[in-house]
Amino acid sequence: MRYLTRRIGLFLVTLWAALTVNFIIPRVMPGNEAQAVLGTFRNINPAALHALQIQFGVNAHQSVLSSYFEYLGNCLTGQFGVTAQGVPVMSEIGSKLPWTLGLVGVTTVIAFLIGTLAGVASAWYRGGRLDAILPPALFIVSTIPVFFVGLLLIYVFAVKLNWLPLGGNYSVGATPSFSASFIWDVLKHALLPALSLVIVTSGLWVYSMRNNMITTIAEDYVKTGRAKGLPTRRVMFGYAGRNAILPNLTGFAMQLGYVLGGAIVIEYLFSYPGLGYLFYTATTDHDLPLMQGLFLFYTLAVLVCVLIADLLTAVLDPRTREA
Amino acid sequence: MAVTDISLAEHAPDVEVTGAPARFLRAVLGNKKAAAGAVILLVMVFVAAFPGLIAPDSPHATIYAQDAAPSSAHLLGTTQLGEDVFSQLIWSTRLTLLVTLVVSVIATFISMIVGVTAAYFGGITDRTLTVIIDVFLILPVLPLLILLAAYLPPGVTSLSIVLIITSWAFQARQLRSQGLSVRNRDFLVAARARGERGIYIILVEIVPTMSSLLAASFLALCVYIVGFAAALQFLGLGNSGQLMWGTMLYNAQQAAALEAGNAWWALGPGAAVALLGAGFALLNYAFDEIGNPALRPVRKRRRSRRRRGRAAA
Amino acid sequence: MKRIKWLAALATVGMFVAACGGSSSGTSSSTANTGKVGGKLVIDNVSGSTWTCQFNPFNSAVLGPGITFAPVYEPLEFVNILQSGNPPVPMLATSSAWSNGFKTLTFTIRNGVTWTDGKPFSAADVAYTFNAMKSDKVIDLNALWSADGGPLTSVAVKGTNQVVFTFKAPSQPIFYFVADQTPIVPQHIWSALNQSKLHSYPDSQPVGTGPFMVSSCSPQNIKYTRNPHYWQSKAGHPVPMIKEVDYPAFLSNTPGNLFLAQGQAQWGGQYIPNVQSFYVGKDPAHRHIWFPPVLNVALVPNLSNPLLGKLPVRQAIAYALDKATISRLGEGGEQQPANQNGVVTPTFQSWVDSALTQPAYSPAKAQQLLKSAGFTKGSDGIYKDASGNRLAFTIKTISGYSDWDASLQVITQQLKAVGIAVTVQDENSTPYTSDIQGGHFQLAYAGSGGPAASPGPGPYYELRGWLFSGNIGSTNYSRFKSAQADALFNQYAGASQPQQVQIMHQVQKMMVDEIPFIPTTEGVDWYQYDTTNIGGWPTQSDPYAQPSPYSFPDNGQVLAHLYPSS
Repeated sequence: MRYLTRRIGLFLVTLWAALTVNFIIPRVMPGNEAQAVLGTFRNINPAALHALQIQFGVNAHQSVLSSYFEYLGNCLTGQFGVTAQGVPVMSEIGSKLPWTLGLVGVTTVIAFLIGTLAGVASAWYRGGRLDAILPPALFIVSTIPVFFVGLLLIYVFAVKLNWLPLGGNYSVGATPSFSASFIWDVLKHALLPALSLVIVTSGLWVYSMRNNMITTIAEDYVKTGRAKGLPTRRVMFGYAGRNAILPNLTGFAMQLGYVLGGAIVIEYLFSYPGLGYLFYTATTDHDLPLMQGLFLFYTLAVLVCVLIADLLTAVLDPRTREA
Repeated sequence: MAVTDISLAEHAPDVEVTGAPARFLRAVLGNKKAAAGAVILLVMVFVAAFPGLIAPDSPHATIYAQDAAPSSAHLLGTTQLGEDVFSQLIWSTRLTLLVTLVVSVIATFISMIVGVTAAYFGGITDRTLTVIIDVFLILPVLPLLILLAAYLPPGVTSLSIVLIITSWAFQARQLRSQGLSVRNRDFLVAARARGERGIYIILVEIVPTMSSLLAASFLALCVYIVGFAAALQFLGLGNSGQLMWGTMLYNAQQAAALEAGNAWWALGPGAAVALLGAGFALLNYAFDEIGNPALRPVRKRRRSRRRRGRAAA
Repeated sequence: MKRIKWLAALATVGMFVAACGGSSSGTSSSTANTGKVGGKLVIDNVSGSTWTCQFNPFNSAVLGPGITFAPVYEPLEFVNILQSGNPPVPMLATSSAWSNGFKTLTFTIRNGVTWTDGKPFSAADVAYTFNAMKSDKVIDLNALWSADGGPLTSVAVKGTNQVVFTFKAPSQPIFYFVADQTPIVPQHIWSALNQSKLHSYPDSQPVGTGPFMVSSCSPQNIKYTRNPHYWQSKAGHPVPMIKEVDYPAFLSNTPGNLFLAQGQAQWGGQYIPNVQSFYVGKDPAHRHIWFPPVLNVALVPNLSNPLLGKLPVRQAIAYALDKATISRLGEGGEQQPANQNGVVTPTFQSWVDSALTQPAYSPAKAQQLLKSAGFTKGSDGIYKDASGNRLAFTIKTISGYSDWDASLQVITQQLKAVGIAVTVQDENSTPYTSDIQGGHFQLAYAGSGGPAASPGPGPYYELRGWLFSGNIGSTNYSRFKSAQADALFNQYAGASQPQQVQIMHQVQKMMVDEIPFIPTTEGVDWYQYDTTNIGGWPTQSDPYAQPSPYSFPDNGQVLAHLYPSS
């Protein structure tokens, strides 16, 4: 119980830190977003300027401290205001969320599976050719910046071979529906971005899984399992794998932040209209309400995953409860 | 990889103190992967130090045909402005390498101070610092980087600052664990008995024992910094006038190099970034086995056919 | 008057053909009009984000890409910047007249126009649109009303079909903003909304008078369908002739450019590097480009800077720049070199004072000017004054504008060759804007593409933005203050046409004599068009409107002109 309380405490502190960072940064830099927008018209209408400023979330007439508490209150009640274009932030996030969730969710699961299986196999056949080649290869590949993998894939498959589309999430002019042709269109557009992410992130899981497996294999209960004559696969997965994966869960959750970051770059590269691209444009446009909503969303996503991972570890591994 | 695996770090074993440089050299030469990494890095350093030897053209000379494809005169083609891409690539090495090394050194240093201080002083200091480390570990890195970079004036200084802020926590936990394991060793008890101050003990007594872990942490950090710096610049958050591989990528992307026919303007710097990262990662293999003997490569015994699941003796 | 206009028109056409080297012949008459309604037009303009499916024409984010004004909403009269000598084209107003020394403007409103929901359009809608700006100042985007700093004091219906605008001072130039730049909205719908919050009305199913209606909208694409009851239609001559329009959303240039290059869109508004090989070369018989220049891009000195405040220094900079090279290398030849007199040519050729000699590229003369002003060359090759202050400056520019960065690289080298050192400083657009507006810079690169004075039917509009002292803090970045200039701009508002030309001649002389800023290249309207299935495009020889899909309300003119061809 104490373990859980400590973790939830950490959760809350991190949340507060993220909110505060989100609040401070835009206010540190001088610059008036509203003025930039209106500067192109004939004369700047002072009333229009003021209204836009409020919409942008920068109310020059309020003290910083009261702005801060108002901001905290708004965040906790889910009021993130409207974007620079006048659309409610929550609905913008809601409309883009499925695309990123789909892309990141599926690729993370696939990459985790590939990496974990590779780690387990390499550890089991340790010293063999598989172990000598696979983990280093996957790991080196994971150090390649994800946008470079994306660039290569675009160059080969989209530009040179013209097999796959260059970007976007579905063809221009197609109407979203659940028809087979539309789903196929979506998959075609998601293939290269997903592939980029899978290639680069598979390597993240390999080593942790392999090293945990190696340590676990040395344990007595594994020897017992094999001595009893159980089939290799049963021992590999049922005895060793299950225990080796435990420390990996928390690592998995924390790597999620890294994967989400990679998704931002990939969405930018492929002009994939998900949350990542939205975050990028929000920051370059200095669209304060949208930026704050999204950054909070990212932090919450990682925090929730970490918490779930911790809960799972606590449930699955009695040892942690003593800590 | 000992230093990138959080779970293993919690049980970081004791490390030998003597003969570190010789041991390092043996480890590098003995390990094929590490040797490869060392070669790559040495080449990079050479290119950064003497770019004029390899690419005599000024990278900014806009004197050639615009957007030319690769040829014998221009190994990687030319940019939209008529600059030689190969020259730019070579000359960008210096700043890219410099930024990577400086940021990693500073971040590793901060990481070490925080981690070891937490370990050494224990109690409330430890708990507070650990919370701070965890907060920085959980905050999603790239979104934070983008947020910071979007508001600071674009340039290498801002880039370095935001990278240091977001990466110092990566290795702090491992360093703390190492510090914990060393805390109660005899020589430290002696130092405390002598009345030495905490800071002195940390810097002079503890840190030197962690040299190989520090080196490994530094290299691991380099891998990430190279990629993140390039990613930020690629997104347009750097200064496109400063010559680095990341800014080359950005300029190439803006000019639609891939589609326009001089694809190597984009692929060249991208490959360079990947190579540098791989170099650091490969070199880091030298430390892997030093740190944890259980992970040392098992020498295949020729007579044995059953290669399954044989645990390290 | 007529003769000057005729000569001007001829000269304009001649200059188009001679000067615009980058564009192609533009023979739109090669496509035959089938005479039948049909066909689909796909627009390719990168807006940078997915559509919000809001069509409120007073929301600047919605206005920008041209999705609502003027396919859906229309202006009172259409003023063509590219043919500034021509009278305005009647749209919702059939005629207009100034009286009372340019202080009263009366519009006669067209009969027989209906809104797309079937209700009749009348003068009341016009009066309502303008008066609503008083209830919600945010929609007074051009600051017309006196409460917002403009000259308008009242708008009222007169009789059955006239609307009278009253101004507190002579206001000829305001005609452009009132007649051409204001979308007219239906009173019967908008008056039922919260009048103080009109700017935030989403307007997702807009009701307008224009040639197209929004038939469906998703974040990825807006589909328009033709307005069957459009007022320009006559028996036997349906307008518009294009049946459907698709306007997809693109997040960045690369997919947008590729879409155009693959022939999936016919009307582009894109900056395409290497446009000849990337776009035109794929189908030279049907694909054309044309980039009419409208607004200057300039190197702007901060006149409060002690060194830059000295005329010889600015003159030296003007003589040091080889604008042809800047245009070739920085803008890929797609933007022509600009003129020091500040007049964008050939668009406003008729306003040029040809008797003025402008500074030409001469590094020798630049250095001579510096020397005779008492500057000496230091050992580092940079000139310094008697107190040792070096001619070394920073130039601020917007981060991400790769063509500006490229131009600035060229400028840096050219200035270094005459002993002036400059360093380029990229800034994000928000701090950049507040820095140039607030005078926190030494040199800046500014103009078309960044925050700038909007163009109008004549050089007055842009130059007033740059030089009028009341615009210090908004578009007068160099902080130029001259009582003579202010007086000239004020006189223009009440002057006759030939007087206005004379006034602009004097402004040009000031530009050349005092060099308040240095125009380098001429910013253009980006425009690509494909004549395979659609004809009726604006071209160099027939510039009936500004041709970009994002130019409003010109896009409405284009949409009404296009026809499916065989």
